[in-house]
Amino acid sequence: MRQVYKILWQDHSRAHLLWAFLGTFAGFVLLLSGIQFYIDLRGVLSANRDLLDPEYIVINKKVHIGQTLGLQGNGFSQEEIDELAAQPFAQKVSPFISNEFPVAGYTESERFPDFYTELFFEAIPDEYIDVKSEEWDWDPDEGVIPIIIPQDYLNLYNFGFAQSQGLPKIPKGVISLINFRIRLRGEGSGNFDDYDGRIVGFSNRIHSILVPLDFLQWANDTYGYFKQSDPSRLILVSRDPTDPEIIRFIEEKGYDTIREKLKSSRLNIILKFIISFLLVIAAIIIGLAFLVFLLSLQLMISRSSGKIRRLNRLGFHYREIGRPYILLLLILLAGVTGLSLLATTILTRQFAQLASVWNLDISASLHGIIYGTSTGLVTLIFLSNMTAILVSTKRLCS
Amino acid sequence: MTIRLERMIPLPMLEQATSGSGIWEAGSVDFEKGNFYIIRAPSGRGKTSLLSVIYGTRKDYRGEVYLDEENIATFTARQWSDTRKRRLSFIFQGLELFDGLTAMENILLKNNITGFRSDAEIRTMAGRLGIEQFLHRKAGILSFGQQQRVAIIRALCQPFEYLLADECFSHMDRENTRHAFGLIREVCRQQGAGLILTSLNGSEPMDFDRQLEL
Repeated sequence: MRQVYKILWQDHSRAHLLWAFLGTFAGFVLLLSGIQFYIDLRGVLSANRDLLDPEYIVINKKVHIGQTLGLQGNGFSQEEIDELAAQPFAQKVSPFISNEFPVAGYTESERFPDFYTELFFEAIPDEYIDVKSEEWDWDPDEGVIPIIIPQDYLNLYNFGFAQSQGLPKIPKGVISLINFRIRLRGEGSGNFDDYDGRIVGFSNRIHSILVPLDFLQWANDTYGYFKQSDPSRLILVSRDPTDPEIIRFIEEKGYDTIREKLKSSRLNIILKFIISFLLVIAAIIIGLAFLVFLLSLQLMISRSSGKIRRLNRLGFHYREIGRPYILLLLILLAGVTGLSLLATTILTRQFAQLASVWNLDISASLHGIIYGTSTGLVTLIFLSNMTAILVSTKRLCS
Repeated sequence: MTIRLERMIPLPMLEQATSGSGIWEAGSVDFEKGNFYIIRAPSGRGKTSLLSVIYGTRKDYRGEVYLDEENIATFTARQWSDTRKRRLSFIFQGLELFDGLTAMENILLKNNITGFRSDAEIRTMAGRLGIEQFLHRKAGILSFGQQQRVAIIRALCQPFEYLLADECFSHMDRENTRHAFGLIREVCRQQGAGLILTSLNGSEPMDFDRQLEL
């Protein structure tokens, strides 16, 4: 048989086989990495990935002129709250409680310049806050009001105000040591109480000055005299913040929210579209490469038709004659599969490294479906080409 | 093996005058086991067609052909393959060598199917026919006479019950022809195989059991 291989391999240009190989390789890598990234991105962009970490969205009403002129309230009525809670994307809805009396903060220390400002407080149930602190409770006897402020405020101070004023920057750990006082004022002048305030945490999720809910409820009962108004902000817990329904509902109702969070749903759609497009391209490339394989082999067989007939006359069966071509096919396809899996693994590792820099959790190993897809596809290409080879050699030998 | 022809005539021969033909006009022609037959005829009488039909490479004929009483019209691809590997050997008029292989590789191509002969035996045969020193040369650059001798040796590198030889001595000198015939007779007798030889002029240095006219 060695001589048979030699004869059939002689006098052939290898170029078209190389093209078939490269084309199939490119198509495979495109297809496999497309599938890999599609699965990864679906996991990252969809909060479904981690059932224990639903996303929180803070919703408020857009402020417009009617509210400014006092003609409209800018809070959410109970009906509006219920309507939101009834939406399929809403898991839970909770209103922000605000202070119903004036609040002020001031400092009395020698180390910091004197400081006095009106403040506001908001409160929501503890379960919605992303900061856990042991100091987060209110004890009227102790008289220390724990406060959580947004991380952004600290950044704004450190990199904005302090920077420009030449003041020292305050690290996170230090800020809780700063003493300041909180003045709660009831109705009528001279009706106020002072308490110590302490910042006990920084939130990345809630853009507000938070105090414990039970404190604010007690304080509102004790000092509150503003007209009761509807809550101006709601916190929405949804399973999948990338659900485009959320953004549609919010826009339809004229509500507002921080776009950043919901951007990922648009991003999600765009990315899915791009990847789907790539997958289609990949499928086309593979289809074309398959065709090139088929035609290359047919061309080789056709060019060797004289030799094939001669071999048949010498007693070789058409299956024996087909064997060198089938072996060639097998080697090329095995090479394509191996190399494309390798290339995809390398690409995946690179992407995973890159993603970890952005704090995204992407798998560095190939998903099982990749192996399944490549094996299935290459088996399909192999079997169909093998059949074509045997049909051709048989036809020549009859 | 016995070969029997029943009113067999290749279709192209139907258009030609075949009167007096010992084969085309005969009802039944038998080739018995182990006999040597020579068929003499000028060109165009169907010598090659006859052998090709028996060997299965031509299927355009009328009548029946039986190998050991099996009608070859029923043979599958597998049966033909087995027959050509182990029962029928052919020395083609056109030789059917592969120019891109050496003389030795051409011979081994056939030999290695059955492992019938050792390298040493092949070299011995090549020596007897005067081409041992050409075995490593590509068949395409040998002279026709040398190529014929390669084809002869190749045909002898398999088991067979009948050897079909189609005008394969046209380009060999007297001495080589004699050696070739000697080798063929030896190998056939060894296996108890028969021989059907076709020839133009009929000057073969060998005794045949029967001569047929086409």
